[in-house]
Amino acid sequence: MNVAVAVDEIQPETLISYTETGPAPKRVVVGFGFWIFLLSDIVMFSALFASYGVLVNATAGGPTGAQLFNQVSVAIETACLLLSSYTCGLMSLAINSRRRIATYLGALVTFVLGALFLNLEIREFVGMIASGATPQRSAFLSAFFTLVGCHGLHVTGGLIWLAVMMAQVAIKGFRPAVERRLFCFALFWHALDIVWVGLFTVVYLMGVIV
Amino acid sequence: MNLLGNLTWSAIPFDQPIIMGASGGMILGIVFVLGWVTLKGYLPYLWREWITSVDHKRIGVMYLVLAMLMLLRGFSDAIMMRAQQAVAAGGAQGYLPPEHFDQIFSAHGTIMIFFVAMPLVIGLMNFAVPLQLGIRDMAFPTLNAVSLGLTASGILLINVSLFVGEFAKTGWVAYPPLSELQFSPGVGVDYYLWSLQISGLGTLLTGINFVTTILKTRAAGMSYMRMPVFCWTALASNLLIVAAFPVLTAAMAMLLLDRYLGFHFFSVDGGGNAMMYVNLFWVWGHPEVYILVLPAFGIYSEVSATFSGKPLFGYRSMVAATMAICVLAFTVWLHHFFTMGASASVNAFFGVASMMIAVPTGVKIFNWLFTMYGGRIRFTVPVLWTIGFMVTFVLGGLTGVLLAVPPVDWQVHNSVFLVAHFHHVIIPGVVFGAFAGYTYWFPKAFGFKLEESWGRRAFWCWFIGFHVAFMPMYVVGLMGMTRRLQHYDVLSWQPWLIVAAAGVAIIFAGVVCQIVQFVVSIRAREELRDVTGDPWNGRTLEWSTASPPPAWNYAVLPRVTGLDAFWTRKKLARVTQGESAPAREYEPIEVPKNSAIGFVNAFFAVVAGFALIWHIWWMVIFGAFGAFIAIVLFAFRNEEEVEIPAERIARFDHAHPAEVTL
Amino acid sequence: MEAPYHPAPGENSAPGDEARASSELLVYTTGLSLAVLLTATSFWVANTSLLWGPGVPLGLTVLAIAQMGVHLVFFLHITTAPNKTNNVLALGFGILIVFLVIAGSLWIMNNLNENMMPNMPMLN
Repeated sequence: MNVAVAVDEIQPETLISYTETGPAPKRVVVGFGFWIFLLSDIVMFSALFASYGVLVNATAGGPTGAQLFNQVSVAIETACLLLSSYTCGLMSLAINSRRRIATYLGALVTFVLGALFLNLEIREFVGMIASGATPQRSAFLSAFFTLVGCHGLHVTGGLIWLAVMMAQVAIKGFRPAVERRLFCFALFWHALDIVWVGLFTVVYLMGVIV
Repeated sequence: MNLLGNLTWSAIPFDQPIIMGASGGMILGIVFVLGWVTLKGYLPYLWREWITSVDHKRIGVMYLVLAMLMLLRGFSDAIMMRAQQAVAAGGAQGYLPPEHFDQIFSAHGTIMIFFVAMPLVIGLMNFAVPLQLGIRDMAFPTLNAVSLGLTASGILLINVSLFVGEFAKTGWVAYPPLSELQFSPGVGVDYYLWSLQISGLGTLLTGINFVTTILKTRAAGMSYMRMPVFCWTALASNLLIVAAFPVLTAAMAMLLLDRYLGFHFFSVDGGGNAMMYVNLFWVWGHPEVYILVLPAFGIYSEVSATFSGKPLFGYRSMVAATMAICVLAFTVWLHHFFTMGASASVNAFFGVASMMIAVPTGVKIFNWLFTMYGGRIRFTVPVLWTIGFMVTFVLGGLTGVLLAVPPVDWQVHNSVFLVAHFHHVIIPGVVFGAFAGYTYWFPKAFGFKLEESWGRRAFWCWFIGFHVAFMPMYVVGLMGMTRRLQHYDVLSWQPWLIVAAAGVAIIFAGVVCQIVQFVVSIRAREELRDVTGDPWNGRTLEWSTASPPPAWNYAVLPRVTGLDAFWTRKKLARVTQGESAPAREYEPIEVPKNSAIGFVNAFFAVVAGFALIWHIWWMVIFGAFGAFIAIVLFAFRNEEEVEIPAERIARFDHAHPAEVTL
Repeated sequence: MEAPYHPAPGENSAPGDEARASSELLVYTTGLSLAVLLTATSFWVANTSLLWGPGVPLGLTVLAIAQMGVHLVFFLHITTAPNKTNNVLALGFGILIVFLVIAGSLWIMNNLNENMMPNMPMLN
């Protein structure tokens, strides 16, 4: 402190705008930071989407999307992920009202639905590879496996995160730090479903109508 | 299966004396420093106060140390290139064979952009932004330490590439098909890719940290239009980081998939499209240059206002220009590949956009000029760097507007004219700005000023040396010289290149002056001591703290009522010469706890990165798993903060009495 | 040891707030129902022959955007409240970048491909 300032002479205004209220509470800060991270993640997906869009017809004589995609499987995957977003929302409500059993239940159902999604997706990939439609076959397949696979990796990461968070709830209870992290997880999980909406529309649905 | 993957003794280039000499010198230097530190018993201090610190001021200093060290390596590359091109004319082959020369120009660009310029601006932002915003630390202090660690990991990997294996020979952009496995079968491109992916993640996390800090945690009363301009440019720069770096991550991930798993994103067969890499790279690449230059522009704003004794001219238009650059940065990227076959419609759009983006920068230049006009200018070293920037950058920017015209660009694309242009903007823009910021904030960080006369000598050597080094390159570029030539047959180019080499020698003298300045300043630190915390009669809040500030920055968080918050307070204050501050209520303050997670994470990142490069798969799993376990363990820690008792805060405040110049 | 929970300004859920909680449940359930409806419509649009062919991709795009909107509003609580301005602005910036990256890349790459020599194996 190098200046003797009569701070008391400076009167705070009675009405201040939202931008002048000073540092926001930690929960808001963490939530916003994670939101910015999610937006950056979506920009990364958009670069992968752009590559897919450029390479979608580069089948190099190999199979096309229309020949490979199974809409029933995609519909079930979509239903699983959408429902898991809902159950994640229910879990968030349970966390807010500190209901432990409801939290574990919501997490469990979300986890199972997410795992089901992954199971179906892995089956699809394995099936494609077994029939010779490998990512090394053509640029289209490279782009497909990377775009959809990247989303699948995010889902996998989310499930691992969810499991660790349930361990944290069990050991530490509903501390502010644990709550903040669960809030971030919920944001992440909903954002993954948003990306999936783009994925199934652009890759699978548009892939079969052409 | 080989336990060490592709790694064998032949990876070490025993047959290349220059590389062995450089590596040997580097390793000796590291061993000497580590040994000295250990023997003197500094390790516990370093661990406790620096390596595990999450304090933004410490992290900022560490970024700058990394940047300055890497500047020496990047500059050595420059010296070697100029020396080679000065001699390798006609029959002479020079002293660097093509395989080595190619690695040098690739390493030069990669190091200078990613490991000098980025850490310089990130370090300066880290140090100054929280102080200027009137807060105690960044929004996510531990994440900040993790970012620093990841940047250091990237730096370590690229330095290891000097003596274990090789570096990329593809230029700093690594275009396919040359960078595909088929045409670059060695580890060089992998070193490049993994080093940048790891440090890129650190940079992205930094971007998130700054955007959140600036938007959500400013001091009470600091509305957006009361923020210092440096914070506005930091905001714009970090928004660009958050928006652009993911694209680079995706592009490099696709190239890695091509190289490691035989995918066909950019390959010549299978339907791959190499131009897609070029496109995505520059979607990142153009915003990157604004990420680098915007914080430098912010420093120039602070310096010109402070040393003119006047408020910055046109604050609102500065803010508008900054945010306009932030958005426009994403609309010009094709100008980096005008010659790659797009139609006139596409080229024209991006050409016009590239010319438009010069306008907000022009607004800034006028604002700085008008700030200085009518002021009582003190020609301190930061002001010298600023004026040097203004004179030089405007000319360099003009060559940019020239290049923005597609037909002109067709003549000079990838010639040395282009090389002259981008050095003509980035050196006065970013490097001079970083030197100005370094000199300006050094007393705040360390408690004593840098010695003035050596600073002046350094400036003049850099200023003159830069012009001598790069102006000939415009000439020889227009004479038709392509970039990245290890050898050439047009003898009329040689005199110009000899002059350019002389210029580099003058810059080298400048660097020596800076090193001497640092040593001399430490020796004379008592005479150069800053006792008031406000050595420059500053305008912004950081100058109201002690030099160096305590860990908690502000004992009582400031309440801001106007722009140039500290200047306003100085005007309103009842100043009591030599008396200590009146009795205040001190409360205990909670500061974030130190953590080793930044260091541990960085360690596992290096292990995993090195293992990926050399295909040592078990080590990859070990590294990835180790990082995961470390993060989970970190998540289970019980205490996040340390409480500093009120008495300690009071004691610090009373030890730093008031004495101010008005 | 749990610290007291302080809801941020504008946050609409707090522990023990049962009345608010049930309205929250309604929000999530409405979101789910709308999303299911829109998703089912998407699948129908892609598979039906009742619609004019060239309009199908546009229809799918509109439906996808609507679904994303439902997620943003009902699950992620993106609203125009004053404390949420930053979130909306950030989202807007993100959408702008996504648009520039995807539209810009597609425009440029298509343009480049068109200018390649015909019958070249690289043309895709």
